[in-house]
Amino acid sequence: MSKDQFKTRLQIAKNKLLRKNLEGKNQNTSNIGSAFKLSTELVAAVVVGTIIGFILDKTFGTKPWLIIIFFFVGVIAGIINVIRSAKNMQK
Amino acid sequence: MAANPMTQFEVYRIGPEIKVGAFDISFTNASLFMVVSSLAILIIFNLGSKKNSLLPNKLQLLAELSYTFISKMIGDTAGTKARPYFAFIFSLFMFVLFCNMFGMIPYTFTVTSHIIVTFMLAVFIFVGVTIIGFVKHGFGYLKLFVPSGVPAVLLPLIVIIEIISYLSRPVSLSVRLFANMMAGHTMMKVFGGFVISLGVVGGWLPLSFSVALTGLEILVAFLQAYVFAILTCIYLNDALNLHH
Repeated sequence: MSKDQFKTRLQIAKNKLLRKNLEGKNQNTSNIGSAFKLSTELVAAVVVGTIIGFILDKTFGTKPWLIIIFFFVGVIAGIINVIRSAKNMQK
Repeated sequence: MAANPMTQFEVYRIGPEIKVGAFDISFTNASLFMVVSSLAILIIFNLGSKKNSLLPNKLQLLAELSYTFISKMIGDTAGTKARPYFAFIFSLFMFVLFCNMFGMIPYTFTVTSHIIVTFMLAVFIFVGVTIIGFVKHGFGYLKLFVPSGVPAVLLPLIVIIEIISYLSRPVSLSVRLFANMMAGHTMMKVFGGFVISLGVVGGWLPLSFSVALTGLEILVAFLQAYVFAILTCIYLNDALNLHH
């Protein structure tokens, strides 16, 4: 292996390392962001679902039923939100 | 001796009482700290961008670093289409960051530890993003609620779920910032109370915890502002590049 060849190889390896470092750093910060996102995503959807159920119950006068239904729909929405965020994290 | 850890979140009036109709719009300590953080942002970035020297001083460096930081964040999450909204996201990030950071100074008031402040910011973003979506895509924006490849039987349920998950965005955005700030500040106050009540003999352990918590809270203050801004970018991305 000649000296020039070695130099170009070294350069390529250094560039690769640099790029990897940059990417790793970038992913790290956005991962912390996603972790914070996950924690409230589930709760928020449940709260919103329950509030919608409560409002609909009041307007239609079907006291306990819609709030129960929309509570569970909110739970489903929250779980879907969490799964989506987790999928985005894996990208 | 231990003071109530929640008294730090009390809002009180400064100066005369001003009333417009049924609304009390008097100047409070919350408004004072909003004004202070806005003024601090204005002063720092005006001074930082005034002298365009090749060898930057510290203020210019700060301004330039924050510019590249936000610009890179927008580029990574929302792409080039979100460029026109740079000014909005930049001021949003800076406002939340400065409010959080001013709250870290002892005897100050943390504006973002009140849910109404963060909720108004989040609702503002939510309404703005929805309007942008409808302007860019017309009624095609409603396709966001109808994922492709769903059997027709399940469609009504899926649409309701999608609407709830869309409406939960401002709630999760505001609750996250508010809860993190309030929990952190309460915890610091509680540990501070332990220092006083345990005295010279036993107070050193909670004191060391307090020091560590201060560091953690500064990290959280920055991180929450970052998360707030990055989620705004993500929502903006959904509105600009519809892909469902």
